[in-house]
Amino acid sequence: MASKQVAVLISRGAEAEIYLSELAGVKVVVKKRVAKPYRTPEFNRLFITTRTKIEAKILSELYDAGLSVPAPIIVDEEHGVIVLEYVEGERLSDIIDSLSSEEVVKAAEYLGDFAAKMHSLGIYHGDFTLANVILSKKGLVVIDFGLAGYSDDIEEYAIDLHLMLRSVHAMRPSVVDAFSKHMTDSYMRNYKGNGVEVLKRVAEIRTRGRYIDKELRKSIMRERYVD
Amino acid sequence: MLLGKSFKVLVRVPSIDKRVVVLGIESTSHTFGVGIVEYHNGYVTPLSNVLSQYKPEKGGIHPRESFTHHVNVASSVLKKALEEAGLTLGEVDAIAVAIGPGLGPCLRVGAGLARFLATYYEKPLVPVNHAVAHIEIGKLVSGFQDPVIVYVSGGNTMIVVEKLSRYRVVGETLDIPLGNLLDTFAREAGIAPPYVIQGKHAVDICAEWGDSYIPLPYTVKGCDLSYSGLLTAAIREARKASGSKKLLGNVCKSLREVAFNMLVEVTERTLMLTGKGEILLVGGVASNELLRSKFESIAKFYNVAYYGTPPEVAGDNGLMIAYTGLLGFLHGKTARPEEVIVKQRFRLDEEVYPWLANK
Repeated sequence: MASKQVAVLISRGAEAEIYLSELAGVKVVVKKRVAKPYRTPEFNRLFITTRTKIEAKILSELYDAGLSVPAPIIVDEEHGVIVLEYVEGERLSDIIDSLSSEEVVKAAEYLGDFAAKMHSLGIYHGDFTLANVILSKKGLVVIDFGLAGYSDDIEEYAIDLHLMLRSVHAMRPSVVDAFSKHMTDSYMRNYKGNGVEVLKRVAEIRTRGRYIDKELRKSIMRERYVD
Repeated sequence: MLLGKSFKVLVRVPSIDKRVVVLGIESTSHTFGVGIVEYHNGYVTPLSNVLSQYKPEKGGIHPRESFTHHVNVASSVLKKALEEAGLTLGEVDAIAVAIGPGLGPCLRVGAGLARFLATYYEKPLVPVNHAVAHIEIGKLVSGFQDPVIVYVSGGNTMIVVEKLSRYRVVGETLDIPLGNLLDTFAREAGIAPPYVIQGKHAVDICAEWGDSYIPLPYTVKGCDLSYSGLLTAAIREARKASGSKKLLGNVCKSLREVAFNMLVEVTERTLMLTGKGEILLVGGVASNELLRSKFESIAKFYNVAYYGTPPEVAGDNGLMIAYTGLLGFLHGKTARPEEVIVKQRFRLDEEVYPWLANK
């Protein structure tokens, strides 16, 4: 009898290998961080343990708060392994072109709400892009908290929103205005802190890129210091 | 050596069997350069690539001093480029010039010269984006069709992909660029200028004195990265080293390691995000050996093709402007002299480039 395969590699992310497996009859995902050839051994060890630890902690906190993230099941910091609930569906980045304008608005509102609730817990995602949102049968699920962290700094929250808008801009530029409007409106309704400050920071971050029009940058920066 | 070799143009160009010669002028920052390319039947041949670099005796690039340098060398560089190509200005079909991004005074030397030549010799003028020129020359010599482009220089750090006839910035530095990080650190740590000795950066030379790593801040946000915190921390550590060659060596070694790892990580993420099969490293910092070896190893790891632009066209040069000008010229993107105005903050994602496929 052929031996039963315990785990199947389903994707290789930028820092981890993702396997599909089964645990007590339930489909699970095994996320294993791997050493990279370009990093020295010291850096590899540091990366693998600290990022695994933070990711697991944040996932369980968000899951307990009722946000739609995959449930963490088992964590092994030493080996850089997290076992998670399997979320079946497609990445938004793969299907954004085929969404209707109503669906785009719904996604934007949902993600604004998600970000607001996450930020209200003092957590930032760090890689909040369309590629890290899955459209499943249960609705949208945000995945990959590998770069997430705890912070009170609105800069981190603003970067999350900025990254999401940038990824929409890169994937489907024609809907970016509508997406931006609905995401920020929904963010403002649900964020517990001072949402206006976060959105101002988003505008400022945009102007920090290289070679943005000087006058635009000046006017935004001036506003920040005058307030 | 690229001169005299023929390269097949892989981007979209209208089919003409006429011979076309374009002269390109680069003057955006520390380099004044003139390059000439010849196009025939789908192939491009670089005919000459002459340049002169302004090297500050102390401190960083002073725009006015760099401007003075460019003014002083402009005519001799131009003359030499024409001599090497064996051509006269009358035989040139178009004049291309980098109009930005860059330092205002420096850019104006190139733009002024280009406007004069175009007017006096009655030649069409082609304005070129300097960043796009770095990318196009890299694509030409690598033969890559649709790479993830890592553009690193003194003034830029960005991850770029092609989409719908435009270049899209997938990730970039949120504050200072990689080349600026290395140069500013070297200056503050007292190991530069000169910034580059025999092709090696001062930080690379200093790193050889060290034997271990120290912790430094590592800041990656999705596909974006931030180097300012790393710079501040590294300068603080360099001050603490107070004269110890070995301790300063450790700072340089760690700075380089952290800065490069961050760049490779955002490249990996872009690769995963876009599913592309090629990595192209362009820009002045692309000459760095350690950086190249890290990119080679990551390309092998993901089984994708990698190409690091060779030093002769990785840094600023006139040849890349000539070639990109040629692409613009073949698509009729010419301008009248009075329309060719420098744009210091000319982003590469502002325009549609007709030679890019509509994918």
